[in-house]
Amino acid sequence: MTGLAVDIAFWTFAVAAAWFGWRVFRTDSMVRATFCLLASFLNVGAIMVLLLAEYLGVAMFFMMSVEMVVMAIFMVAFMMNPAGLNPMEMVHQPRAAIAVGIGAAVGLGVVAVVADLPPAALLDEAGTIRALGNELMGASMLLMEVVGVTLVATMVGAVVLSSASGRYGSADTGSVPPLLDPDDPDSRPDLVSADGEGDAHAGHGGHGGHGGHG
Amino acid sequence: MTIVTVLLASAVLLGLGTWGVLSQQSFVMIMMGFELAINGVMLAAAGVWRFTSGGEPRGQVLVIVAMLVMAVEAAIGFALVVAVYRARQQDTTEGIAELSR
Amino acid sequence: MTGELAAPHPVLGAVVVLGVLLVGTAIVTTADAVVADRVARRGLDLRASLVRPWRRIALSLVRPQPATERPDWGLWVLAPAAYVGMAAMAVSVLPLGTDWAVADVRTGIVVLGSAEVLAMVAVYLHGWAPNSPLSLVGAYRFVAAGLSFLLLSMFVLIAAALPAESMSLGRIVASQQEGAWNVLRQPLGLPLFLVVALSVSLHGPLDMADGTDLATGTVAESSGPARLAWEFGRRAMLTAYALATAVVFLAGPAGPVLPGWAWLAVKTVAVAVVLVWCGHRLGRIGIQRYVRIAWTVLLPLSFLHLAISGVAALA
Repeated sequence: MTGLAVDIAFWTFAVAAAWFGWRVFRTDSMVRATFCLLASFLNVGAIMVLLLAEYLGVAMFFMMSVEMVVMAIFMVAFMMNPAGLNPMEMVHQPRAAIAVGIGAAVGLGVVAVVADLPPAALLDEAGTIRALGNELMGASMLLMEVVGVTLVATMVGAVVLSSASGRYGSADTGSVPPLLDPDDPDSRPDLVSADGEGDAHAGHGGHGGHGGHG
Repeated sequence: MTIVTVLLASAVLLGLGTWGVLSQQSFVMIMMGFELAINGVMLAAAGVWRFTSGGEPRGQVLVIVAMLVMAVEAAIGFALVVAVYRARQQDTTEGIAELSR
Repeated sequence: MTGELAAPHPVLGAVVVLGVLLVGTAIVTTADAVVADRVARRGLDLRASLVRPWRRIALSLVRPQPATERPDWGLWVLAPAAYVGMAAMAVSVLPLGTDWAVADVRTGIVVLGSAEVLAMVAVYLHGWAPNSPLSLVGAYRFVAAGLSFLLLSMFVLIAAALPAESMSLGRIVASQQEGAWNVLRQPLGLPLFLVVALSVSLHGPLDMADGTDLATGTVAESSGPARLAWEFGRRAMLTAYALATAVVFLAGPAGPVLPGWAWLAVKTVAVAVVLVWCGHRLGRIGIQRYVRIAWTVLLPLSFLHLAISGVAALA
């Protein structure tokens, strides 16, 4: 690819990444917000491919797509307006947040323009993936071990935090489910025991089989 | 595409993420803001690696570490959201302003 | 940026990818009709089973699209396009002849994996957009299945990359020509990858999104050209993954006498027929069983597969 094509592609991806990043917080539909964030990630991944960090760019596609699908499920579960059927404004300190956001972007932008970073082009453009692989499985092995252990700890931690039962009983002991109708105090559903999960539904396949054999 | 333009793009993403984190009330939306900010960080790391490192692979490793941060943030974040919701039926920062109820 | 295989001009490459998907879809559609008649022992009128699907397509073109209550039109239109696009992305990294591919990138297997994950996003959006309960159930069910089979796919592809010492699919074919075909070297990989192919292309017993048990799930509210576009996407995805199976396990274009593309076509059609036959012959599996089997049986098997392949590659 020539320099001009790379430049055009870079600006397209960069503007798209920023535009989708902005839409994340401005769209009413939570599913759209999630996939706007995914679009921002995909555009940054494409820029990484242009930067010849191809493995990282494509890995971004892979990892962020999975993460955003999971994110979408949580968005639908926790937000009151997942499909954006009503206009929604769930913000606090909006002016201060805008000021800080612009301040952060401008400050870092000034650093980017002013800082005198010594240029040092890639020595081996064709070998970036091989170099990364050798680094991960060689000099940075200890770091990758730490990454692995951290991820295992994360898995354990996430399960511990989110599981319904702990050592001293159910994690939601004493908590109260929300009202189904906010104005009606009698509409509180009964507490559901956490013990009912598992194979409770496994045996229901055989109903309605009368006369089916013959 | 130069180091300056890449860093400018990453600064915009980080600013947008910061704005999201500070302005949103819902935990899940705040997490999305963090992710957008880390997105900018990864772009900056990749740009610095590309233009100033001479191909030193540890620059790419830094991006992988940023991905790890994002994965941990997402997993633990969701777990905390679930735990808080289970205990308080709240999913916004205002909802857990008090330490006990 | 590219691996070893030559690449045509990008415009020509796009035409080739589209052509592969269209021809593959026609073959899959025909094979589906013929296999369905064979399995049902519905007489052996080959002409009738060849004509029937095309008549059905022509009929469906004139059906109007019903409107649901406040759907997300943007995503609804985007989803089939994205799904077809991911099939195209998968085809573009696969070698299509002995010495060329549309884009034999160095990160070939990761691109293949990304195509799968983004296809999951497309299926989810396709089920989400119509604002209809059965579609939404299909979407969620597919995400549960997707999070299970994606890991399988990644481990199987990594195992295939080990003897090639490269993530490029061109190198993976070359390493099979130098050594043995992966179907012999890595016998566990093929059945695992067929599970992935059936799942991601929404076919047969592993069709978690569009199953008839959900009144066709994500596609329940689509009719006319929209439905046709989605059905094209499913068959295009089956084509892409049959092609990927032929490349990764059957050495793709390698073979005597015939040119490379012909061998690839023969192997791809054979894999596609096996997949279609599975679709008509095997019973549907429930999502709970699917997820349980995927995580407790297939995933450990794929670990084992990866370990065996790694040791074999070192030996």
